[in-house]
Amino acid sequence: MSNMNTAMIEKYRNNFLKEVEANVEEGEWVKMCMQCGVCSGSCPLGPYWDHPPQEIFMMIRAGKREEVLSSSSMWMCTSCYNCIARCPRGLPITHIMHGLAHYADRLGLAPKEQPTRKFAKHFWDNLTKKGRVNELKLGLKLYFMNGFGEGIKTAMKMKDVGLGMWKSKRLSIGELWGGHSIKDTKGLHAILNKAREIEEAKAKKFEG
Amino acid sequence: MSDEKKTGCYICKGCGIGERLNTSQMATIAEREARANIVREHDFLCSAEGVAMIQNDIDNEGVNHIAIVACSRRAKTEAFNFDGVAISRGNIREGVIWVRPDTDEAQETTQEMAEDYTRMAVFEVNAMNVPKPSGEAEGQTNILIVGGGLSGMTAAIEASKAGYKCTIVEKSGALGGHAAQAWKRIPQHAPYKDPEDTGIDEMIAAIEADPNIEVCLNSRVTRTSGAPGRFSADISTESGDTKTENFGAIIQASGYTDHDVSHIDKLGYGNADVITQAELEALAREANGGPIKRPSDGKEVANVVFIQCAGQRSDEEGHLPYCSGHCCLTSIKQAMYFKDQNPDIDTTILYDDLRTPGAGGEDFYRSGQDKQVIFTKGAVNQISSSGNGAKVNFKDRILDEDVEIEADLVVLATGMVPNSGVNIDEVPQDEPGQFEVSVDSILNLTYRQGKDVPQLKYGFSDSHFICFPYETRRTGIYTAGPVRRPMDDQQAIEDATGAALKAIQAAENAQLGRAAHPRSGDLSYPSFRREGCTQCKRCTVECPFGAIDEDEERYPKFNEGRCRRCGTCMGACPVRVISFENYSVDTIGQQIKNIDIPDEFDEKPRILVLACENDAYPALDMAGMAGVEYSAFARVIPVRCLGSTNLIWVTDALNSGYDGCVLMGCQKGENYQCHFVKGSEMAHYRMSKVDDTLQSLSLEPERVATYEVAITDIERAPQLINDMAETIERIGMSPFKF
Amino acid sequence: MSEIVASNETILVVGGGISGMTAALEAAECGKQVILLEKTPALGGRVSQLYRYFPKLCHPTCGLEINLRRVKANPNLRVLTMAEVTAVSGDAGNYSVKVRISPRYVNENCTACGECEKAVEAEFDDEFNYGLGKRKGAYLPHKMAFPQRYVIDPAIIGTADADKAKEACKYGAIDLDMQEQEIELTVGAIIWATGWRPYDAARIQPYGYDRIANVITSVEFERMADPYGPTGGKLLRPSDGKEAKDIAFIQCAGSRDRNHLKHCSRICCMASLKQSTYVTEKHGEDGKATIYYIDIRAIDRIDDFYRKVKENPNVSFIKSKVANIVEDKETGNPVLRGVDTEGYHRYENPHDLVVLAVGMEPSVPADAFPVDVEINEEGFIEASPDNGAVFAAGCSSDALDVNRAVQSATASALRAIQVINRAAGTEG
Repeated sequence: MSNMNTAMIEKYRNNFLKEVEANVEEGEWVKMCMQCGVCSGSCPLGPYWDHPPQEIFMMIRAGKREEVLSSSSMWMCTSCYNCIARCPRGLPITHIMHGLAHYADRLGLAPKEQPTRKFAKHFWDNLTKKGRVNELKLGLKLYFMNGFGEGIKTAMKMKDVGLGMWKSKRLSIGELWGGHSIKDTKGLHAILNKAREIEEAKAKKFEG
Repeated sequence: MSDEKKTGCYICKGCGIGERLNTSQMATIAEREARANIVREHDFLCSAEGVAMIQNDIDNEGVNHIAIVACSRRAKTEAFNFDGVAISRGNIREGVIWVRPDTDEAQETTQEMAEDYTRMAVFEVNAMNVPKPSGEAEGQTNILIVGGGLSGMTAAIEASKAGYKCTIVEKSGALGGHAAQAWKRIPQHAPYKDPEDTGIDEMIAAIEADPNIEVCLNSRVTRTSGAPGRFSADISTESGDTKTENFGAIIQASGYTDHDVSHIDKLGYGNADVITQAELEALAREANGGPIKRPSDGKEVANVVFIQCAGQRSDEEGHLPYCSGHCCLTSIKQAMYFKDQNPDIDTTILYDDLRTPGAGGEDFYRSGQDKQVIFTKGAVNQISSSGNGAKVNFKDRILDEDVEIEADLVVLATGMVPNSGVNIDEVPQDEPGQFEVSVDSILNLTYRQGKDVPQLKYGFSDSHFICFPYETRRTGIYTAGPVRRPMDDQQAIEDATGAALKAIQAAENAQLGRAAHPRSGDLSYPSFRREGCTQCKRCTVECPFGAIDEDEERYPKFNEGRCRRCGTCMGACPVRVISFENYSVDTIGQQIKNIDIPDEFDEKPRILVLACENDAYPALDMAGMAGVEYSAFARVIPVRCLGSTNLIWVTDALNSGYDGCVLMGCQKGENYQCHFVKGSEMAHYRMSKVDDTLQSLSLEPERVATYEVAITDIERAPQLINDMAETIERIGMSPFKF
Repeated sequence: MSEIVASNETILVVGGGISGMTAALEAAECGKQVILLEKTPALGGRVSQLYRYFPKLCHPTCGLEINLRRVKANPNLRVLTMAEVTAVSGDAGNYSVKVRISPRYVNENCTACGECEKAVEAEFDDEFNYGLGKRKGAYLPHKMAFPQRYVIDPAIIGTADADKAKEACKYGAIDLDMQEQEIELTVGAIIWATGWRPYDAARIQPYGYDRIANVITSVEFERMADPYGPTGGKLLRPSDGKEAKDIAFIQCAGSRDRNHLKHCSRICCMASLKQSTYVTEKHGEDGKATIYYIDIRAIDRIDDFYRKVKENPNVSFIKSKVANIVEDKETGNPVLRGVDTEGYHRYENPHDLVVLAVGMEPSVPADAFPVDVEINEEGFIEASPDNGAVFAAGCSSDALDVNRAVQSATASALRAIQVINRAAGTEG
């Protein structure tokens, strides 16, 4: 359990709703849910969620902190915005889901083996390196995310797509070495470092 | 105008009547058989010209009884509206040509139908008199308001604003009732976000400063007698002083009592920290905006759970079978008492269905959520003491699991029980002339039928009618507020304002001798022939409105102002001594007797149809409009209420050769549609005994049929008539034709 | 119309539905002079289009009959139909009201004999049946229409049909030259009772009201259930005319929803409970009703009706706001998708027919009021001292059921009388 997590438990004792309000992006909306269930029903990936949004909101109110934060559910969100469009109470559900996922990650409670989360991490690392996504590297990372054997299998399955992309010059073998980048990678890294600093300072406040 | 009766019969030829019927033959009948003094035909009787023709006869020929033989009495009412004369309507459009096929074969029987309706219209109007009010009212328009809570105070203030004097009788030592015990009220204005001041102090101040309003505290009504426009009430104080005052109308705003849930074990009401909504109001007032403290040890409440529908919405023993309507909003308001004082206090509302209707309701719900009140859909398993406050074990219906939460305080939404006085259907009535004051009674009415207003359901003295929430079974007495129906403050204010209007209306109309709803404005009222009365009490017992008392000599005492003019008394009277000026055993009897009864071998039976004017008659009218046909042998007579049907009409009809009788009233029983409450039921009951009569005449029981008919029975009502025609075909003609 | 005499002791009631009629009658029966305006050709409003009322399941036309009899009998009350308020000026106790009266093309000579209707050929969507059936270009709005007088649809004016109608009338009742009129009334107080309209279901996109034939609204279903309605009382699927036996009711269709109507329309839960009894009434054991809801708001004494309906094993309740509806192309069945929030059960349920319990929207949009009154976010009139002597009655004041609307109308009649009595100088 991370320090920050312990600190948060200490700070909010039983009131998980308050913790969410204070720390999760758009978390102050959670209380406004009236349990109609239209978000859960509208979600195209709904059947794959352990706990759909409306249930998560109820769990937050019921103080089910561990269960919510370690849940894989909010990692399933694909940002299609169906739920936001439909919510009769105007809850920014997509943002809340990402906010919860991010918060769980910060606390170290997010499920380690959750593929969306893993992929998100790869994507981020890939993107921030040069300011542009390196499709080839990202694709290979994704294929081999769950081990070598499965990676080969997936790569074989996708070979036609890859070949097509290569033919139409959307994919270059050269990307494996270096790859293309934005003009000012230094500048980008400076921006990201600053952002990280701000985030950490925020987190420190709670831990301090 | 001379008192001499002069009858004019006016036959319309418009709308195809002239083409379908031989109207001159009808005119001859009106003149020769029915002895109308003036008979005129007109091509278009409802035109300005036609109406002027009739008016001219009234003005210059002294015609004072008018039979209009044209369309239904429901049509062209504005045109055929003449002051100061008796009017009957023979319905030969909707009732004859529109329900009969336009064929050569049908022509003869259709013509006979029209001729009979002509006879009936003239004989009916000849038996009618122009009603005049009795003048029994005594000019009283002051309003007695029983109960000085929010509803009673509102009624007084609103009536006073319209210029009427009021007296509030309040049994406690102060005005304000439950509303005054509240810390704040549910908001009544946009944006419906925060609890508001109750406004009760301002109302009390307004009442105290109002010369139109008299307030009697620590007082009860120990006797009420009379009728709208002339009520007399004894107002007695706790110390025993009694004064008598007169009133034009009464508003009963006797309020409610909190439902006692102490015997419902699972609610754990015996625990110190489990309280009712009313008790929380007291704690909040004590706290006066500061932290609310729990009763057991005075600890500041940090965690509170509200239980909705506590002891309500269930048929289980000790539960109220209804929803009290206000409790969801009240709990949200009360949760805000905590949240507004300290947002860190945890407040949970445990509900089944959250009921916050309308614009204000939903806004207030959202505002509660916005203040972080937590709403959980669940059902209580058990509330018990935790040693430190209380614990609530419940089934969370969303997360589908049993949960236990601890709270410093648990608040139960227990609901309202109406203070409706004596249930007159369950207690024996006083002997006429003797009257004992009952402390349980709200009004202590000296009415023959009991001391209080009848209750409808679950003890509420509500109206049974959706369209007419102020329908009352005790004319001139209007219940208002939660005694009538469970309701919140805002609805109670509307309700009391409406009741004030109805009270004013009742008092004003009583002065003019006008009836109250549904025969609004009717000036006729029942009277009886004393020498013929056998004091059987049927009229006093059967009157659906408790309008008839018994005098010292045990004769019926009709109270015009209380009467709704349905005629149930007239139908009940075995010796037929009760009548209205324009509606009597005779006005109907004359119609029945004077139709043409063809010879048995003509195979033209006659079917008497007595149809309630409120539902069955309009249904038959609309059948005509829709082109639904029925037997040409039917003769339909509208009655004010089937309850006014006197058995003599049926026996007379059968004796004089009718082959069958069809009686059509409104729905009776628990979901009655009868506008006069019990009229249809009484008629059905009486007709269930008609078999004896039929037997004595050696007639088949099938010859009389009584039905419940709705206004929408546009096809069924004609079918019932046709069924009777078929029955007669099957069992044969009546042997009583002479 | 110049003969309409009104004064600052006259009460004007705007809207001839149940609330307006009630307010007008209650005031008139107190002896006050009242003018009742109605925009359409007949009194009665939305309740005249209902088959039954909840919770008694009685027929609204029954009360309408009584109210119409009261109207006919009361000399204090004058009714103007096809009339709309266009402007109001002045203050409490002394208003000047401009009223536009549309031509009916039929005068008071009309006997409602129906010959004009037989003569014309053109047909139009029948408003009374929410467009589910047709009516002629000369028509009586419905069987209990008051005034009992025909109407000529303005669309046939100038056509041969209009001339045919005129020729068919033996009573000189048809006047094709009738023009729109503007009149001005002086009144002391105004009761505003313009009521509600059903929310436009097509705007709830995922429910496919405009795309899926077998998705209809609650007001349409109500007309269907009426034996004298467009289907003769049969619950028919618009797609294929087959009888619908398995019917879904979707609550809060437009209500309690920031994307549509923010407020709870109050009546819809009870209306669907009532309509579930139609399914049993028509099909007995074979009829199935499923009600998808957020909260069942069967408020106060009438909660017992809810419990009674719940006892029927053929009526089921699912706590869920339906997410979307798709059409099964083969069967024409609408398929409802969503999550039963009680315990989280996903469903994909086909039904024969879906009834959207559409919400109540104030008839007059907030920006179109011809009179200066305080209007809340939901579009209803707020009681306010700033409203002068303009008093809302019924659904102009909030989403109300009939009982409460009549209560509100009765109260508004007294509020108007208070002003009139002050104007007359007769107050205490």
